[in-house]
Amino acid sequence: MTMLNERQQLSYIAAQAADARLNVELETEGMTLNIGPQHPATHGTLRIIARLDGEQVIWAEPVAGYMHRGYEKLTEVRTFPQVTTLINRIDWLGSFANEVPFILAAEQLMDIEAPPRAQYIRTIMFELSRIANVSLFLGDLGVQLGAITPVFMAFRDREYVLNLIEGATGGRFHPNFDRIGGLKDDLPKGWIDETKQVMKKLRQFCDEIEDLLFGNEIFQSRTRGVGIIPADIAKSYGMSGANLRASGVDWDLRRDQSLPMAWDKADFKVWTHPDGDSWARCWVRLQETREATKIVDQLVDSIPSGPVMAKVPRIIKVPEGEAWVSTENPLGEMGYYVVSKGDLGPFRVKIRSASFNNISITPWVLKGVYVPDIITILASLYFILGDIDR
Amino acid sequence: MPQPPSSPSWWGVARLSDTSTDTETPALPGDGLREGIVDTLRRDLGEQLIDTYLLPQKDLWVRVASEAWAITGRSLKLQGFDYFCFLSAIDWMPSPFGKGEDDPSAPPAEPDPEAGAIKQGYTGGDTRFQLFARVTDLKRHVSVTIKADVPESLTMPTWIPSYAGANWHERETHEMFGILFDGHPDLRNLYLPGAFEGFPLRKDFPLLSRMVKPWPGIVDVEPMPANDDETPAEGGES
Amino acid sequence: MGLVDRGRMPIPLTKLFNIGRSYSMWVYQWGLACCAIEMGAAFGSPRYDVMRLGVIPLPASPRQADLVVVSGTVTDKMAPAVRRLYEQMPEPKYVISMGSCANCGGPYWDSYSVTKGVDQIIPVDVYVPGCPPRPEALLEGIVLLQQRIKNEDMGAKWRNEEYTSLQKTAARAAAAEQPIVVGGGPIE
Ligand code: SF4
Repeated sequence: MTMLNERQQLSYIAAQAADARLNVELETEGMTLNIGPQHPATHGTLRIIARLDGEQVIWAEPVAGYMHRGYEKLTEVRTFPQVTTLINRIDWLGSFANEVPFILAAEQLMDIEAPPRAQYIRTIMFELSRIANVSLFLGDLGVQLGAITPVFMAFRDREYVLNLIEGATGGRFHPNFDRIGGLKDDLPKGWIDETKQVMKKLRQFCDEIEDLLFGNEIFQSRTRGVGIIPADIAKSYGMSGANLRASGVDWDLRRDQSLPMAWDKADFKVWTHPDGDSWARCWVRLQETREATKIVDQLVDSIPSGPVMAKVPRIIKVPEGEAWVSTENPLGEMGYYVVSKGDLGPFRVKIRSASFNNISITPWVLKGVYVPDIITILASLYFILGDIDR
Repeated sequence: MPQPPSSPSWWGVARLSDTSTDTETPALPGDGLREGIVDTLRRDLGEQLIDTYLLPQKDLWVRVASEAWAITGRSLKLQGFDYFCFLSAIDWMPSPFGKGEDDPSAPPAEPDPEAGAIKQGYTGGDTRFQLFARVTDLKRHVSVTIKADVPESLTMPTWIPSYAGANWHERETHEMFGILFDGHPDLRNLYLPGAFEGFPLRKDFPLLSRMVKPWPGIVDVEPMPANDDETPAEGGES
Repeated sequence: MGLVDRGRMPIPLTKLFNIGRSYSMWVYQWGLACCAIEMGAAFGSPRYDVMRLGVIPLPASPRQADLVVVSGTVTDKMAPAVRRLYEQMPEPKYVISMGSCANCGGPYWDSYSVTKGVDQIIPVDVYVPGCPPRPEALLEGIVLLQQRIKNEDMGAKWRNEEYTSLQKTAARAAAAEQPIVVGGGPIE
């Protein structure tokens, strides 16, 4: 713990020094560095403007909006079943996970519930999309810190997961598989055996990445103690997911709220890390991928039989009301505030996406760091542009 | 490992898996937890807490007076709601364009006298725009949605002193609804290019592409697997 | 290649150059949204292995690229950057538009902030439809583009002639000028 406090203090001191420097008139000549909007080190089209003093950042600000597609407006002119087609594409690496909270919110308003089998399959697909999402993060992490190989490994093993998703839903990427009241289809034959094998491969992949990347000295020295975010700051910025747990906050919506999903049937550990630095964030994600494979393994063994679709009217009208449902998506807390007026479509949908909050901390956390650390911190915060801009 | 669900209702009692390291929240009958929150808020705000809406064991909505918006933030933070979820606004005016799926060449329908009426959701309201925000207490595992009317001047106090994360959310709300936030350090556009005119999430902002082309998607309502055995009704509800 | 812009080269020589050009394309990945991941899967993953087609997806900047793949949603805020990228590329340059969004706006056809197709900003040679297209579709787009390049007359392109195809008659040349649509006929 003393280590942690020292490190945190150092980061505070650096931040304060940066603050002080802003006020001193005799500063070295500043320089403005523009990264992006298209840069290999940003996941998509985020642009960072940083004002530098030598090598040190004194002020940095991300410029979002290059991927703003107007989801919240478009949902107002779509019907409820059509909305899932759109919101699939918010966090495009874990598409299935985006559908679930919205469907749950609509089901809550209609006061129906998916049959148990559908709940299990939903949870399995949810965790599969988490694996597909985070495995790419683990690969990309290497690229951003200068190691090329992990990304090839990530793409190799991610294909297996995508095959599974494709086998069950018909879509590699944007399955659009969830329906209000259940699922579109049941699982195909032989899918469960294959899933178990793939989960084994994925666990191997995690081990490989751990040896190759996390055990690497360069990687450690570039991430340890870089970009420390204390728990109270993280909470007041609304950071969620692995970023929050890496700051030592034990909060996981899969465990800490009751939803009609099957997470409480599985035995899994919620990992936290006390440090709050880039290393902790990466490490928590690695452990989470492992836990996700375990959840899938446990759930495929115990899927109950039965229908996958509840009785719902053919034309879906959602009764008047407001509902908020959020789930622990690969990137963090993703939630939908759905307001219905009893029409075919929603009246207003507020989309609370995880990356938006996670990235809004960057002006705070980038203050006082050095230029190479910008990339490390952004990589470890892990955002997806569609999830920021919506 | 797999256990049968212990309670018949999924939405009911909070259940924690055995890996929890937190102390369990006892589920109080009648949801005393959320009632306690309302009581504390009422103590802090007095008359300015206008209305509440409570779904036992599920969720809580509280509407406060617009002048009390900033104080509410502080009060919630002191109560332990330290996790900031989101802040946004809602335009309660019914859209004058309908859902835009009609044929634009068809003559406009007769104006409906009811159509223009503004009807707010839970906890009611008096104005067209309402601000709403959600905060969570990570210790007690409870969240609350706060609403407030936005006065004619479209100016509201900022929440940044209580929740630093409100910064970007307020920028977004400003951009999408044109609501100003008193005390916000910089209300620049977050998403749209500088030359963009209008506030997209207001209901009277038209989607121009829909004006020129009818939306074909409304007709293909996919038959649900559960209804396969029934003969499909002609566009009606079954 | 002074020979090319000075005058007409003999056709066999042109064809030889063309084969060289089509199998050494440096492609710049302009990934914008979800489709970028499928493009990454096509270009970066061992399973699809784009380099066996003679395409090198690693240029450091658009100034070294022959081909750009625009994959994903182009927003109005992004459009000037896309335009500028295209202008930075040296001639001869080709554009593949990947995904419904880049083709026509896709699921966001009625959005207020999305450009309805990248072809409103820059000329497009190959359209790859799909949301997202499978990596195989992108590879087919590249193969079709290579076939077109093999039938091009670079001299004509340099001299700004109307048709740049090696086809004999104007009608066939015009047909060969149509943008390629993967898995479909020419655009009506
Ligand atoms: S075409 Fe589909 S997958 Fe591709 S960027 Fe657009 S929405 Fe995403």
